[in-house]
Amino acid sequence: MSDYLPSDEIEAKDYQPRYRMLYSLLVVTMAVFAMRLWYLQIVNGTELRQFSEQNSIRETKIRAPRGIVYDRNGEVLVENLPGFEVTLSPQYVTNFEETAEALGLALNIPTSTVMQLVQKSRRINGAFRPVRIKENLSRDDIFNIEILKQDYTGIDIKETVLRAYPLKENGAQFFGYVGEVSKRQLPVLNEKFAARGVRFAQGDLIGTSGLEEVYDLDLRGRDGISVAQLDAHGREAYGDPMGLLGSMGGVTPALPGNNVILTIDKDVQEAAWRAFVEGNRIGGAIAMKANGEILAWVSAPSFNPNEFSTGIASDVWRRLVNDPDKPLRNKPIQDHNSPGSTFKPLIAITALAENVVTPNTIVSCPGVLRFAGRPYHDHLRGGHGNINVTQAIERSSNVFFYKMGIALGIDKMFKYCDAFGIGRKTGVELAGERSGLMPSSDWKKNTIGEEWQPGENLSVAIGQGFVLSNPLQMAVAYNAIGTEGKVVRPFVVKRILTPDNKMIKEFEPQVIRDMGDMNGEYHVKKEVFRAVKEGLRLVVNGERGTARASKLNYIEIAGKTGTSQVMNFSADQIYSSCEARPKHQRHHGWFIGYAPADKPEIAFGVLAEHSCHGSSGAAPVAKAMVAAYVAKYHPEWLERDLRKKKDGVPAPASTSQPATPVVDGPIEGE
Amino acid sequence: MADYNSSFQIQERGILKKLDWNFMIPIIALHVIGVVNLYSATHGLGAVQTDRLFVSQLFWLLQGWIVFIGVTLIDYQFFIRAAYVLYALNLMALGAVIFFGKVALGAQRWLDLGFFSYQPSESMKLALVLVLSKMLSQKVFPDGMGMKDLAFPLLILIGVPFLITAEQPDLGTAMMLFVIGSSILFFVRIRRAILVALTAVLLMGATGAWFFGLRDYQKNRIYTFLDPNRDPRGKGYNSIQSKIAVGSGQVIGKGFRKGTQSQLEFLPERHTDFIFSVLSEEFGFLGSFFTISVFGLLFMSMIRIAGHARDKAGALLTIGVTATLFWHMFVNISMVIGLLPIVGIPLPLLSYGGSNMLTTMAALGLVSSVSYRKYLF
Repeated sequence: MSDYLPSDEIEAKDYQPRYRMLYSLLVVTMAVFAMRLWYLQIVNGTELRQFSEQNSIRETKIRAPRGIVYDRNGEVLVENLPGFEVTLSPQYVTNFEETAEALGLALNIPTSTVMQLVQKSRRINGAFRPVRIKENLSRDDIFNIEILKQDYTGIDIKETVLRAYPLKENGAQFFGYVGEVSKRQLPVLNEKFAARGVRFAQGDLIGTSGLEEVYDLDLRGRDGISVAQLDAHGREAYGDPMGLLGSMGGVTPALPGNNVILTIDKDVQEAAWRAFVEGNRIGGAIAMKANGEILAWVSAPSFNPNEFSTGIASDVWRRLVNDPDKPLRNKPIQDHNSPGSTFKPLIAITALAENVVTPNTIVSCPGVLRFAGRPYHDHLRGGHGNINVTQAIERSSNVFFYKMGIALGIDKMFKYCDAFGIGRKTGVELAGERSGLMPSSDWKKNTIGEEWQPGENLSVAIGQGFVLSNPLQMAVAYNAIGTEGKVVRPFVVKRILTPDNKMIKEFEPQVIRDMGDMNGEYHVKKEVFRAVKEGLRLVVNGERGTARASKLNYIEIAGKTGTSQVMNFSADQIYSSCEARPKHQRHHGWFIGYAPADKPEIAFGVLAEHSCHGSSGAAPVAKAMVAAYVAKYHPEWLERDLRKKKDGVPAPASTSQPATPVVDGPIEGE
Repeated sequence: MADYNSSFQIQERGILKKLDWNFMIPIIALHVIGVVNLYSATHGLGAVQTDRLFVSQLFWLLQGWIVFIGVTLIDYQFFIRAAYVLYALNLMALGAVIFFGKVALGAQRWLDLGFFSYQPSESMKLALVLVLSKMLSQKVFPDGMGMKDLAFPLLILIGVPFLITAEQPDLGTAMMLFVIGSSILFFVRIRRAILVALTAVLLMGATGAWFFGLRDYQKNRIYTFLDPNRDPRGKGYNSIQSKIAVGSGQVIGKGFRKGTQSQLEFLPERHTDFIFSVLSEEFGFLGSFFTISVFGLLFMSMIRIAGHARDKAGALLTIGVTATLFWHMFVNISMVIGLLPIVGIPLPLLSYGGSNMLTTMAALGLVSSVSYRKYLF
């Protein structure tokens, strides 16, 4: 059948060793394969299995909406708004430059910005975190991105919840803001919160200042998790179509945070802020109910916290940090200055309580007082003549209080001022409160290592020297005068509610100390308070008061102006015009007080930095806050006033003119 | 099958009896493994299009068996006789690809025949085996082949299709043609001095090709093989993902259709070149070791068939087919488990692909025919 050579016997035999060689070649190959498989699947199997799981299963966090913050009447102060954001997952991007360019075009942002965002995120969060490119996407943005997603890998649109601050700059330092936990912060935070059972993950939101920080654990809720599978393009497969996830799969829903009801009154808060903005003022102000409930808390200049919740641009941040007016500081508790003349009522209480003077004692107050060979000036060149304590407060006589200071000595002044809360933290919930300073001879010996000098008593008595305080402390102290002794702990959170508004916690007002308790340590008599209160009433309502311009017809405000020197000036310069100096050398103006003058319901502390005068710089803010409070809570007082006017009885103060030049600087037209 | 076989107690040997079951069973086993595995590989998350591939592979499988039986029943001498004709036709088809071929993945490898895309370089392997078997079986080389004996088979029979295929460009298949051809020559025996000389020339040629002949993507594949972690999202991606897939299978695997690497499209070309990674991921060391063992058994039975062949042509033909399938398997699995760079070589009997399935089954049919005829005298 065959024309071909049949198997040649010899050659066939010759082939046998070759077949054997082929067999052994085959066995060797199979052995090599088996060894390699053993190495990959058994030696390295566990590691590669883990790798393959990271590769394909992605846990996506479902952010818990943070609790909503309401004012005392249920008005929303901080809330959450839904939005969309676009993210880029670097590990799924095939051509970075092209993708960045396309994204930039679609979102109308420069390509370089996109690249910078990705590079920054890589530095901070590593290569595998999706990078947020833009938040708050518009409808057009979403449409454009959806088209891009067809051609580029790694682009995702995600639903987000944005923290929103409807008051914007108003109270930004008070409400605070939220930020993402970065890779670097993670170990620190987890150590700090381990005891409270909270574990943070990279990218979690956390309150980083203000109320958001202090009440973070209440507000934060619990994030949910959705476990999803990814393909190699980073696309998410919803649900568990392959059954690969088993018990790992599915969605754990997020638990919203608790709602918080504040003591803040939105109207008073807004009135205070408006006064700051309109007067272009710098500084801090608080208004507080007599029981310690904070009604308004303003610090200016400010920033817009809504920008922070979308990840703030570094140039904006740099501008805020470098601003000489310190917009990030919470001034009502962080900016400490000499209280100046606003300190005098406390010294008056001390002097009366220690029987240095009685309410009726007349003291001679010339324009200058020589003490230990040095002249101590009054700010009124001619002095105030013979006056009692009430008049001394009304006119803000320096010499009167120099004399009180000499008579009392530092340690008696310390005893009372410290009890009023000067140099102590008020205990308000906000973070970053500083204590300020009320000096004593012990304090000076211990910290500076020097003996207290008698001359220093004079400085302290008029609120200069070592004394440092802030608007909140001063308001608490004045509130104690107004309420005839009650030093309260100021607080800002009234209630904490569950997401469906069931009560969890309620915070009660707290009196730390009653100076007027006749069985207590200080037992300051009613007459003492009354004499000082009368002085404070006259400051605003009297004929020679330093804050007459802030008088309201329908409510008697009591208060005291003050200035705090930013720099020391020689005697002749004291009288030079403050306004003529460069802004940052000008005095700070204070106005502290309460209203109504006889039975206070609301106390306030205002610091207007570089405003030169308490009367023009700070008092209008207080007036605005009181007016807003009365309009809301005592409309009947307004009506009463209107009726009075109709009956033709003119309010006395509104027509009277100042008889003498005013001590605390000229009053500008108000 | 064995029971069925033993019930056939007929004096004259029936077809089933005459088939070599040591050879048949591994083929059937590999087909079963292949079908199960391909089902998994084509039913991933983005299964809309690949689903169709599974059905067409079943069709190719049926075709393959028809070809196998057909070729078995035809005396292989017929094909040996027609070897030059088949070889010439294949060369023409290869040439046609250059002018009329379909461009896919940046290379022209397919001829669109309307009902299916035919890849002539696949059947060229078989034609080469046939033509070499014919040529070499007509001569005796008691001292091994010398220069003159080698010139025609090496430079013309192997060289021409090698160059055309390399030009497509499909270096993987071209190298495969060279390796298959040389394996047969080597089996027939080449004089030692010449072997050494040829190896030297080959090395120099490879060096020359690196600098002048290889395209960038081909060089990249080799670079990547040397350091797969160099660019995990780029060229090394396939290699790394494949190793992860294989390794993550561990001992018993993740289970049928539970391979995350393959189901979630981390593996590219998972139904063709990377089919073995799917298997290793889902069936682990046990599954993959079993599969390569079945391959081993298949090749052993084929070497045995060569040893019992009726004539020299049959022996060489069987050795040629064995070499073809062995080198395919060797290169494919080596690449999947990270021992060789990524080249587009499918795994015989397991990978998806019509041309490959038909050529493989035809080649196995030839071996079956050789084994079938040994009982005729």
